[in-house]
Amino acid sequence: MIGPSRVAELDMPAAGIETGTARPAQSYWNESWERLRANRIGIAAGILILIFAVIAVMAPLFSLILTHYQPQTINLDQTFMKPGSTHLLGSDELGRDTLTRLIWGARVSLGVAFLTVAMSLTLGTTVGMVAGYYGGWIDDVLMRLVDTVLAIPAIFLFILMSILFRPNAFTLAAIVASVGWGSVARLVRGEVLSVKQRDFILATRSIGARDTRLMLRHLLPNVLPVLIVAASLGVGQIILIEAALDFLGLGIQPPTPSWGNMLTNAQSYFFRSGFLVALPGIAIFVTVLASNMFGNAIRDAFDPRLKS
Amino acid sequence: MTQPLLEVQDLHTVFSTKEGTVKAVDGVSFELHSGETLGIVGESGCGKSVTAMSIMRLQRPGRIVGGKVMFKGQDLTRISEYEMREIRGREIAMIFQDPMTSLNPVYRVGWQVSEPTRLHNGWDARKALSSAVNMLGRVGIPSASARARDYPHQFSGGMRQRAMIAMGLTTTPQVLIADEPTTALDVTIQAQILDLLRDVNREFGTATILITHNLGVVAGMCQRLIVMYAGKVVEAGPTADVFANPKHPYTWSLLRSIPRLDAERHEPLKPIEGLPPNLVDLPSGCAFHPRCVFRVERCARDVPALIQVGGTQRAACWVTQAGTELKGV
Amino acid sequence: MSDTATAKHLTRAWTVNDPLVSVSDLKVWFPVASGVLQRTVGHVHAVDGLDLDIMAGETVGLVGESGCGKSTLGRTVIRLIEPTAGTIRFRGEDISHIRGGHLRGLRREMAMIFQDPYASLDPRQTVGDIIGEPIDVHGLAKGKERQERIRELLRVVGMNPRFADRYPHEFSGGQRQRIGIARALAVEPTFIVCDEPISALDVSIQAQIINLLENLQSKFKLTYLFIAHDLSVVKHISNRIAVMYLGKIMEVAPAAQLYRRPRHPYTGSLLSAIPIPDPKVELRRERVLLQGDVASPVNPPSGCRFRTRCPRAREHCAEEVPPLESYGDEHKAACFYPLD
Repeated sequence: MIGPSRVAELDMPAAGIETGTARPAQSYWNESWERLRANRIGIAAGILILIFAVIAVMAPLFSLILTHYQPQTINLDQTFMKPGSTHLLGSDELGRDTLTRLIWGARVSLGVAFLTVAMSLTLGTTVGMVAGYYGGWIDDVLMRLVDTVLAIPAIFLFILMSILFRPNAFTLAAIVASVGWGSVARLVRGEVLSVKQRDFILATRSIGARDTRLMLRHLLPNVLPVLIVAASLGVGQIILIEAALDFLGLGIQPPTPSWGNMLTNAQSYFFRSGFLVALPGIAIFVTVLASNMFGNAIRDAFDPRLKS
Repeated sequence: MTQPLLEVQDLHTVFSTKEGTVKAVDGVSFELHSGETLGIVGESGCGKSVTAMSIMRLQRPGRIVGGKVMFKGQDLTRISEYEMREIRGREIAMIFQDPMTSLNPVYRVGWQVSEPTRLHNGWDARKALSSAVNMLGRVGIPSASARARDYPHQFSGGMRQRAMIAMGLTTTPQVLIADEPTTALDVTIQAQILDLLRDVNREFGTATILITHNLGVVAGMCQRLIVMYAGKVVEAGPTADVFANPKHPYTWSLLRSIPRLDAERHEPLKPIEGLPPNLVDLPSGCAFHPRCVFRVERCARDVPALIQVGGTQRAACWVTQAGTELKGV
Repeated sequence: MSDTATAKHLTRAWTVNDPLVSVSDLKVWFPVASGVLQRTVGHVHAVDGLDLDIMAGETVGLVGESGCGKSTLGRTVIRLIEPTAGTIRFRGEDISHIRGGHLRGLRREMAMIFQDPYASLDPRQTVGDIIGEPIDVHGLAKGKERQERIRELLRVVGMNPRFADRYPHEFSGGQRQRIGIARALAVEPTFIVCDEPISALDVSIQAQIINLLENLQSKFKLTYLFIAHDLSVVKHISNRIAVMYLGKIMEVAPAAQLYRRPRHPYTGSLLSAIPIPDPKVELRRERVLLQGDVASPVNPPSGCRFRTRCPRAREHCAEEVPPLESYGDEHKAACFYPLD
């Protein structure tokens, strides 16, 4: 039988592990986190997004103590003001405080973005996982559905939906997600198909595990990295889409401020006050850039093989 | 003894990794004489493939940091990339383990097999193709002129390996390096390919370096062999002598650990305990000492050199160099 | 006792002298889809009318070249692949089509060890969770008892119990294979399918794993179906060997006898193709080289499947499928013109 000597012989981890200093056991998530932490630009972008998110969440507080204005307070005595002590970032044609409106606008932009990502991820993952795991006719039906969804010209859907519902952050997110989940489902299905081929899935089946266990304990953790990457890269994209919808008047309706409808509003007064155009533009630009950079950092951290 | 055809002297090839520098080839020396088949044996990571790649200067991202590869009076590690290209495929040809990926899927087999002669001999497409078809026939591909028009995916694994060998032979090279040429193949196909390599060696007089982990393949194919472990040659000598009387404990234990088809009775195998070495953090002294049943105190301290032990063999082992016989328990 | 008789006498209760696993006329076909509409244009006859008995406590080696259906057979026997036709009996009970809780119950009796120790362990799980999963699935132990059980299993396969909270990527191929073996043992099975368990390992590690499997077999009274392409390993570990070619068994015999006196020409050439690590032996060996490649399992040749490569094939071989005929002492071969 295997004597104690054998145990002693194997009492060392494999090649390449404990080289030099003894490192603790590392999970995939720990390692990814280590890689992410090493990426300074990515971390900076992430912190920026976090700050924006905090500002957005605490917008009422900022109104109260920082700007002392409400986003819809009209003051016809103070129209088109330049940035200064009264209005830190100036005011618009109705004398509304631009900074306040930008802060409240962040609520819409980021809120819609995160909500949309959450919704498309949930639906897309479920559909993609079921389709990929079961295959056969279930896969056929679900994937034809995805094809159909992806074939719908999104812009017409948005117009139609915004006529049917009065868009608020929630309905807008639902509308964008109703098209967005299709590509997530495809992504997840593809990943599931490849993970499903690996022997550990067969091994788990061979011990008598149920489908739910296979999907939740084995498939989900293994597709999670691509989901995280997709989510973080999706945020920037959705902010752009949402701003475009607002700009076209299909999204959040005035007087509720959003970066998109602030731009729409500002285009009539472009020559009176360049700030009105530049500021929401910069807000969108910086947020999208930061989320894309953070998304790339996430991708490099979680999926090192994608990085060349 | 006559002048060797190819002489590798104290070759060092390193790879830089995140964990540190890996000495994949660490002072390897051997000679290849014309017409012979030399086996390089070892496990994955022992440096046998990197040695071959370094001879061809295809070791990237590894770097050759020392030693010489003498071929026809010139040192292949020093000549220009242009001169090296003239040698690659023309004077030294190489075939690889995976016949599934070593042919380009978008070109017809005949076109690929004729490529070396178009490139090196400057033959026109027609002449090169007809010689390729001829060669495909000689390596045992039936109705070669028709099959030359096929794409690689229409060939089976064994056929692709034949095509690779044909491609290597079109320029009548003096050296053929076969890197695990049969590892991906089934045993009956392996037997066919090994038979073909024997024929090639006999008919064309091509000196062959056969890299393999399979001791059985070496036993049937090679006149001489070198055994590698952790980037170093640990034993070298005529195949018959090394198998009959191994002078390095690694060779000795390896031979005892593998089941033999012709074993008379069922006896428990005697495995080599422990794990293959970690190349980033090699044991001190002889890299094999933690797994060696013969180790003495000195083995952990000093690195043994590869020197003559017994009549025909060389071994890098303090124990056998001191005259101890390797005997089992 | 005749093997065929046991399979048919279902009414009689199963006894230890009967085969633990009995496969009769098993067929596993996979549809081949083609074209835009992915219509089924044919079938891969992976296993095509196959009979095999495995007695309790023995190791049956299953050899054959890639694509011969040996892995498919192994997976079908433990019901990871649905059989197309035929029956699989375990302890006399027909398990060919059982499902649900019944099938899950069977999973406690059977386990599998995989070829690729890198693909067969979930990279996101700790070693402890990998080994503990069968324990959880079948509710065999909880909490402290579960932990103790995991540590015990690691000890049994020769690994340090401390490794339970490490991840698979920290281990070498041989160590991972030990983890896979520990997982297989976790349900305390009686029958294990070993699917090429050593062919992905380094030469110096292979013997460790073979010895471990042999030790575990005698310790836990296991029955093995040992699938491999390397006849020398199979001959070493098996009591009996079955040789498969294109979905059918060509020959089955006690290991030593198969080597000493092969009857089927395919076995003969397979044996002669295995290199022996001894230059003196290699020099004297006569080789029977087979021509060509294995025929397609989608359109297997008529009659004897091996005839297209067989040096002894005659006209008759194309007309009729040779039955497995007995050559005494549990030795059977399917050939009209056997070697003598």
